[in-house]
Amino acid sequence: MSDILLKVENLVKSFGENIVLNQVSLNINKGEVVSIIGASGSGKTTLLRCLNLLEQPNLGSIVFHNQNLMDPTIDINQHRMKMGMVFQSFNLFNHLNVLDNLILAPKKLLQKNHDDATKEALEKLALVGLERYASQSVQTLSGGQKQRVAIARALMMHPDIMLFDEPTSALDPEVVGDVLKVIKDVAKTGMTMVIVTHEMAFAKEISDRVVYMDQGEIIEIQPKDRLFISPEKERTKAFLSRFMNI
Amino acid sequence: MIFNSLPPRDAFFETVWYLITTYQQFFFTGIFYTIMLSVIGTVGGFIIAFFFTIVRTTKIDTIRQSKFSIFFTVVSQKMINVYITVFRGTPMMVQAMIFYYGLSRLQISFWTPLVAGFVVVTLNTTAYITEVLRSGINGVDHGQLEASRSLGFSHSQSMKLIILPQAIRQSLPAIGNEFIINLKDTSVLSVIGVTELFRATQLATSPNYRTTEGFFIAAILYLSMTLIASILVNKFEKTSRKKEAMV
Repeated sequence: MSDILLKVENLVKSFGENIVLNQVSLNINKGEVVSIIGASGSGKTTLLRCLNLLEQPNLGSIVFHNQNLMDPTIDINQHRMKMGMVFQSFNLFNHLNVLDNLILAPKKLLQKNHDDATKEALEKLALVGLERYASQSVQTLSGGQKQRVAIARALMMHPDIMLFDEPTSALDPEVVGDVLKVIKDVAKTGMTMVIVTHEMAFAKEISDRVVYMDQGEIIEIQPKDRLFISPEKERTKAFLSRFMNI
Repeated sequence: MIFNSLPPRDAFFETVWYLITTYQQFFFTGIFYTIMLSVIGTVGGFIIAFFFTIVRTTKIDTIRQSKFSIFFTVVSQKMINVYITVFRGTPMMVQAMIFYYGLSRLQISFWTPLVAGFVVVTLNTTAYITEVLRSGINGVDHGQLEASRSLGFSHSQSMKLIILPQAIRQSLPAIGNEFIINLKDTSVLSVIGVTELFRATQLATSPNYRTTEGFFIAAILYLSMTLIASILVNKFEKTSRKKEAMV
């Protein structure tokens, strides 16, 4: 499994004087699930948002499909189509119903015809358990349902990698499980995933490797068993012990 | 009761009735052009404002855009801003004078007061609706733009397909309001000789000097138009809101 899909090297991102990512390097292998954990402000969300250039990094390289996304001559929109993203605050298109949220991008960007796109959208909605809601306005959905629609919407583009930015942080506790289950189902299909999360138990369960970040740096990257059970670095230990004590 | 001759000066309502029956063709023409100018001005202004808004909200990407395209974008944005400032900061009456007489010098055959009137009311409305759309866009959650970009849509595709449809829906009351304002404000186009309702009333009262009675009629006609327009705008808003709730 050493087929590298995404290779991040020496990534630097600063907002003014504030350095948020400091020489971050990370490889994501094909089919791998990588979780990024760390305290608030550690730069994990910024790292994720840099991967599809929603944030423009200052320095470094991001190689995806053998192309450096930092190269100004590439068409970033083409690459973004292959990188699904799920946001903390869902970001569904509020003026469209559930089905139209799913089929808009395949129709406009992949030139799929309406019937094919609709058929596939209903399959994806079934996958996330929301096929009955296809014609509903997204504004009538609960947070958990919205997030499941957002995942289905990202899957419609057949991405090679899925980026999850704290997908359950804005949810009521009782629906977190539904969303996590959907993410697990997606992982089972062999999807490559990068997940920024505060859900330690979830990270432990789903990930192949776990990245611990602190103050804009990657402190430790380990297979999940090793990171949670016997972390090497003191900072990782301190972080985890704080978490486990709560 | 039809008056064949002008009623005496103190007979207000008789005079009103006399003017209506004698000059109805004038008033009809006036109403027709007032409505045409307002509808075309508002619709045209809206269409131009739509494209201006896309240009105006384009973010400069210093890394991926060519120098020429950055220059072009910045210049267009600045020009749109200047345009809005000038058109919102000067009276439409003054704009009408400058446009009509200024371009008349070029001796273009189709440059009549009416054409100039359509152009001025459209350009004026564009400036206001562009500002309306800007505040509408501010009301749409920024996360949706990010989600759209993350799916692979370009900035202008995102604006067209996702942000502007929502901004427009939120701006409908203000755009409807622009239309109602236009119904009244097109009266200033009389200054260049467009036969909208104000000018038509002037023409109807000039042979008989019954100005008060004539403009009393004009006032009622203007009021009827704005009332009907605001009822229509409200209905339109309600149905679009209902549609939103249904889907």
